[in-house]
Amino acid sequence: MTALALRQTLVCPTPGRVDRFRGRYYGARVLAILPLVQVPDIAFVGMSEGRPPDPLRRLGEDIEKARAQRVRTEPATGDRAAMQGGLAVGLRIGIELVVAVVVATGLGWAIDRWLGTRPWGMIVLFFLGVAAGMLNVYRAVTGVSGAAGYRRPPESGAGSKRWDDEDC
Amino acid sequence: MAIEIHPLEQFQIERIIPIHIGRLDVSYTNSALLMTIVVVLVTALLVLGTRKRALVPGRWQSLAEMSYEFVADMIDTNVGHGGREFLPFVFTLFMFILFANFLGMIPYSYTVTSQIVVTFALAAVVFIGVTIIGIVRHGFHFLRLFVPQGVPPVLLLLLVPIELLSYFIRPFTLAIRLFANMLAGHTMLAIFAGFAASIGLLGILPMGIDILLVALEVLVAALQAYVFAILTCLYLSDAIHLH
Repeated sequence: MTALALRQTLVCPTPGRVDRFRGRYYGARVLAILPLVQVPDIAFVGMSEGRPPDPLRRLGEDIEKARAQRVRTEPATGDRAAMQGGLAVGLRIGIELVVAVVVATGLGWAIDRWLGTRPWGMIVLFFLGVAAGMLNVYRAVTGVSGAAGYRRPPESGAGSKRWDDEDC
Repeated sequence: MAIEIHPLEQFQIERIIPIHIGRLDVSYTNSALLMTIVVVLVTALLVLGTRKRALVPGRWQSLAEMSYEFVADMIDTNVGHGGREFLPFVFTLFMFILFANFLGMIPYSYTVTSQIVVTFALAAVVFIGVTIIGIVRHGFHFLRLFVPQGVPPVLLLLLVPIELLSYFIRPFTLAIRLFANMLAGHTMLAIFAGFAASIGLLGILPMGIDILLVALEVLVAALQAYVFAILTCLYLSDAIHLH
């Protein structure tokens, strides 16, 4: 029982602290359940590398480390970004097509009323609306860059390069 | 014992404090009341939550910081470089829609986002804002957004109107998606609740469906706020990183 308590204090000196970046607190809790043999390794790696014992400074270091890591991965579109994007895309494509057709047809109807060109404005704009809706859906799904309504391509290489040329 | 069911009654706008300026009706309605509550709640969460400014955040501070980091992360991944300056805007949008959707889930309250006026106003702000940002950043160059590259000039006659349409449809899709999702979801809840009330003991079945639907609606409420925010991010990204 005391060994467990000791382990807990070694691995996680301030139990109330939650490292929000990497969830280290929860990790430490799991480690504390591991057999006693492994504990010195884990506990002393943290202690013997000359890390300052002051918990506040250590927290600062952890934050710095996490921040550096985040900056490094910033432009990359990892799994999480892909999932986020995928979810958003999946939800938008359905309504995209319908709204495009309806709005374009309505616009055509309004133009007809205004200019008295019935029914040509409505007919032309209906087909344009279908095309625009298809285009939007196509772009949302494939991520083809080109113009309005497109989604950035998931390949991080090409995408991140384009962000950097500010002047174009 | 016929029970009258009005699934659409919940979307009724009621004047709480009638105000008329000339012929203009600017009454304070139940919709306006809910919007006020949303703004007060979001402000309270952020102001009170971050009041202590503790190094080790408490529950409320964690909530405030998590929502902030969530939106900041969304902007970093979707807008990338130069997107952080729009964080306040996207954050406000996201929190407003999220809270409006969630408050709408409370029985006897009102779903602000089920009114297309509200969602379209939000979408129009996004659309106009993004267009202005694009023009300010790129000037005349911004119009190249509508001209696909490497296309024969004859085809441009057809393609430019399509591109224009697909650009100007954005605010409509943005508005209608949110509005339709909230309207349909809440109507469905009311219809099943009406079934449950009118068919007596068998009403347990529709009630069970309703309980599941509530869970689905909570998901939809969060997801639609997220989709609105992420599309705003994508549009901003278009306007900032014109190619």
